[in-house]
Amino acid sequence: MTDFPDDQADPQAAPDSGAETGLDEVPVGVVRELFLTLGKALRAFQLYDENNPVYKRFVSALGQAFLGVWEELERLHVSVEEDRFLLMGEEVYKSDSRSDSLAFLFFKDGIREIAFEPGIEEELEAFLSLLQQARSIGPEGDDLLTLLWDADFRHFNYHYIDVLAEGVELPEAHPPEERAGLTQVLEGEMGEEGEEDETGDGAEASSDQPISRDDFNPTLYSLDPRERQLLEEELAKEMGRDLRRDVLRALFDRLEESGRPDRQSEIVEILGSLIPNFLSRGEVRSASEVLDTISLVRNQEEILDGELKKQVDTLLNDLSSPETVAELLRALEAGSIQATPEALGGFLRHLRTGALGELLRASQTVEDPAFKETLNQAVLGIATTSAEALIDLLDHEDDLVVAAATRLIGVLNVAAAGPKLAGLMRHPDPNVRLAAIGSAVTLKVSDAVAGLQLAITDPDREIRIEAARAIGTLANRPAAEKLRSIVVGKEIRQADLTEKIAFFEAYGLVGDAEAMSVLDRFLNGKRLWGRRAPSEMRACAALALGKLNKPKAEESLKKAINDEDPVVRNAVQKALRGEDAE
Amino acid sequence: MRERVENTGLQEEGRKLLTAFFAALRALKLYPLENVTVQQAIDELHRQMASIVAREEGLELRVVGDFFFLNETRLRLDLSNFSTFGSFASALGEHEIGAVEVSAGIERDEWAPFVSLLIRKPDGDPFDAFVQRLGQTPAKHIRVRPEKDVHEPELEEEEALAAAKRTYAQSVKVASDVLTDMRLGRAVNVRKVKRAVQNIVDQVLNNESSMVTMTTLRDFDEYTFTHSVNVSIFSVVIGQRLGLNKHQLYELGLAALFHDVGKSRVDVEIINKPGSLADDEWDQLKQHPTEGLLLLFQMHGFTDVPYRQMLVAYEHHMKKDLTGYPSNKRPREMGLFSRIVAVADGFDAGTSIRSYQYEPWPPDQVLREMRDNPARGFDPLIVKTFITATGVYPVGSLVILDTYELGVVVKANQDPNHYHQPIVKVISDEMGVPIDDPRSVDLSTGKHTIIKTTDPQKYGVRVSDYLI
Repeated sequence: MTDFPDDQADPQAAPDSGAETGLDEVPVGVVRELFLTLGKALRAFQLYDENNPVYKRFVSALGQAFLGVWEELERLHVSVEEDRFLLMGEEVYKSDSRSDSLAFLFFKDGIREIAFEPGIEEELEAFLSLLQQARSIGPEGDDLLTLLWDADFRHFNYHYIDVLAEGVELPEAHPPEERAGLTQVLEGEMGEEGEEDETGDGAEASSDQPISRDDFNPTLYSLDPRERQLLEEELAKEMGRDLRRDVLRALFDRLEESGRPDRQSEIVEILGSLIPNFLSRGEVRSASEVLDTISLVRNQEEILDGELKKQVDTLLNDLSSPETVAELLRALEAGSIQATPEALGGFLRHLRTGALGELLRASQTVEDPAFKETLNQAVLGIATTSAEALIDLLDHEDDLVVAAATRLIGVLNVAAAGPKLAGLMRHPDPNVRLAAIGSAVTLKVSDAVAGLQLAITDPDREIRIEAARAIGTLANRPAAEKLRSIVVGKEIRQADLTEKIAFFEAYGLVGDAEAMSVLDRFLNGKRLWGRRAPSEMRACAALALGKLNKPKAEESLKKAINDEDPVVRNAVQKALRGEDAE
Repeated sequence: MRERVENTGLQEEGRKLLTAFFAALRALKLYPLENVTVQQAIDELHRQMASIVAREEGLELRVVGDFFFLNETRLRLDLSNFSTFGSFASALGEHEIGAVEVSAGIERDEWAPFVSLLIRKPDGDPFDAFVQRLGQTPAKHIRVRPEKDVHEPELEEEEALAAAKRTYAQSVKVASDVLTDMRLGRAVNVRKVKRAVQNIVDQVLNNESSMVTMTTLRDFDEYTFTHSVNVSIFSVVIGQRLGLNKHQLYELGLAALFHDVGKSRVDVEIINKPGSLADDEWDQLKQHPTEGLLLLFQMHGFTDVPYRQMLVAYEHHMKKDLTGYPSNKRPREMGLFSRIVAVADGFDAGTSIRSYQYEPWPPDQVLREMRDNPARGFDPLIVKTFITATGVYPVGSLVILDTYELGVVVKANQDPNHYHQPIVKVISDEMGVPIDDPRSVDLSTGKHTIIKTTDPQKYGVRVSDYLI
């Protein structure tokens, strides 16, 4: 209910009339208690969530207070003043604090009377919620009157003075021309009777219209049951209409209308502003649809002029900014935006190079395999079109991004990244160094390969192993001397078997005659007092000789085929069969 | 919530009751009492009636203005019942009956005589004659009260008109502020707009005819603003007939108020240009739907993006078969709200004096043109629905009666059989001499008929003087 009937509209008369009680005494005490309880319940609403038992207790107490009032009154009708409520002239509520005052809350928006009716107990939570909402309204928001209209309470009425309407005058109708002699005109009218008028599209109407026989034919202006049914279906269709889709279609139609650059520019701006709106509501598909169309229009000739194309580019670049993409990814990870991989992929494929870093980072950290795959696809899509952007990421501040970009450079075989890869083999983060080694193998460019020689002395075991293997794989002969010095050195003896094998095999793969000699000495040679090299070193030398793949190496291996040390014997057999160590 | 359920229940029961009443009236008009159809109709009427009487311990069905009240619940008109309501109200009105009271203990056999009396043509003093005859029947639990004793429990007519005036004035001011603010690129006070539309909806729901009456105020200088408000009022009136709920009516009224907002981006010289427009000027004017769509994106303060309002602004000149403007490349169907606003817009524009239309058309002719000329592109069902609210001769029409008296239509008749017989205020006698104290004539009594509609300007008549 929105407003009182007018017989109760006089704020002075109605609440003071006493007509509603039928009782001699005004139940001031009960009503005062009610408003006190209402104030407490409102505070409880502010402090606790709706399932909290404390809040529930207050609401229940308020309901009880109303039931108490209904024992005294058929209806509670009070007038509202700036700082108090009056029941039949008696003050039943007062608060001097405007921020807390219930009375001022109503008064400031023009409400001058309020009335509760039995049944309000069932609407209390909604009522409290509305009052709370009204308290926190900003200057741009709805006022209490608008909120009350929307809420449409069944058991709460109010009467207000419309501050907005005060002093507004009714427009005056167009003044009549000088009045013609009615008799003359009427005589003229009757003379014209029966003349037909032809009215068509664009036709001028005759001001004199004999009535039509159709006017008496109800079928021409009455709706039959089938037509009524049709209209009901139309209403249901309107209510279920995909409004956003149809608005977008309108915007797209007009965007494609060339020759109106100002309007096209405004539409691009609007579409740009809609994307975050869609994303915040989880409507990723709608955002993709916008981007699909913008991109399509952008790439067609003669629809957008140069300035507009720049505007679209700016929009897409802004959308791809690290901050924007990071925000989106956070929301996706937190689940506040839900999107299928297809919808997300559809959106991400429009992102430009600016997004690459954030996407790469996310692709390393997300756990959901489908999400990860979608991110990987998006990353590949962007990186494929812009190797430069990928190379730039090798200088990124986040090591995780640098490592991922380094790996991707290998995957995409970005040869131009070679010089940077060499540098990355000295990167403080071992993951980056490791990734750089992996990509160097793929790229096979000299700058990157040269860096591997540094990496084989890396403080990190895993990197040393990978670097050694990489050198072997690449058959990087310039590294032979360095490898020789390592395999004959003392430090390698302290390494575990895997590292030893990696270095020896690499040496075997890149080595020449000198390597043959070095390795044969390890396998078959005797040292002072006829002692052999340690078992693991001999076995590694055997495996390395297998990689040398020369007759002399085979000869050297055969010498040890019946070696008494089973570890050595086993390695020799593997090497002769051409098997790998592991 | 218990109260709400009960009221909703009474609404539904009330509608069924009126339908049962109407069915019994129609059956008894067509068949003799012993006919099965009549008996079934009487059964249904008694069943509906007895169930309410038993629970409510009595029942009163009142007809007040355009509305029926079942006890204190006003029954809402919508597409499924307005014709039934109108016919039944007309049957009661012929006997000058304002209310039917049914008390506990009502028997089935009391209904046939009562309904038969309603069908019978009144004679003498209609109400007294009816009461006298009713007293001679076994209908002891049915009483009737005369129209003059029944008062509208909410607003009296004068008060309703005063409230309508306030709402109208405020709405025109708001429309003026909005369009001016938009033209100047200033922020729009959305709160004011909401309030104005809420008031329009309330007024139409409470007293439709007083609000429709306000639309006859035609101010040439304020045309743009009054037109927006009129279109909003007419749209809400149509929406009410279509059964839209209060919040849907608000959405529709808001959309209608903003339907021409795009004109604020069209050169003022074109908007105000007297006479016809050159091609390039038409071309500019035809951009206003698109401009409206775009402008509404700048309007902040709504809880949601006002998509529905945008679509109405964009589509209202599109025509149902999409041959209007703007043109479409992508699939589109003109929405129902857009079609409603198009009809309201077409009617108000056609009947108004405006810059590029020297002479307004008479309202009945505008309706006929909208209904019969498919090239206009209006939805014929919406036009029909509109006519159910306005009648064939809408309020404000200047008519010549068969007595050669001149009259202004002041109220539409809600009975579908009498849509062409409105209530008319006679403003001049058969010699054309103005009457100082115009009298109202209900043409549905059949004593007078309209023979012609004419242009108020021709007579120097300002119809709103007789209405507001």
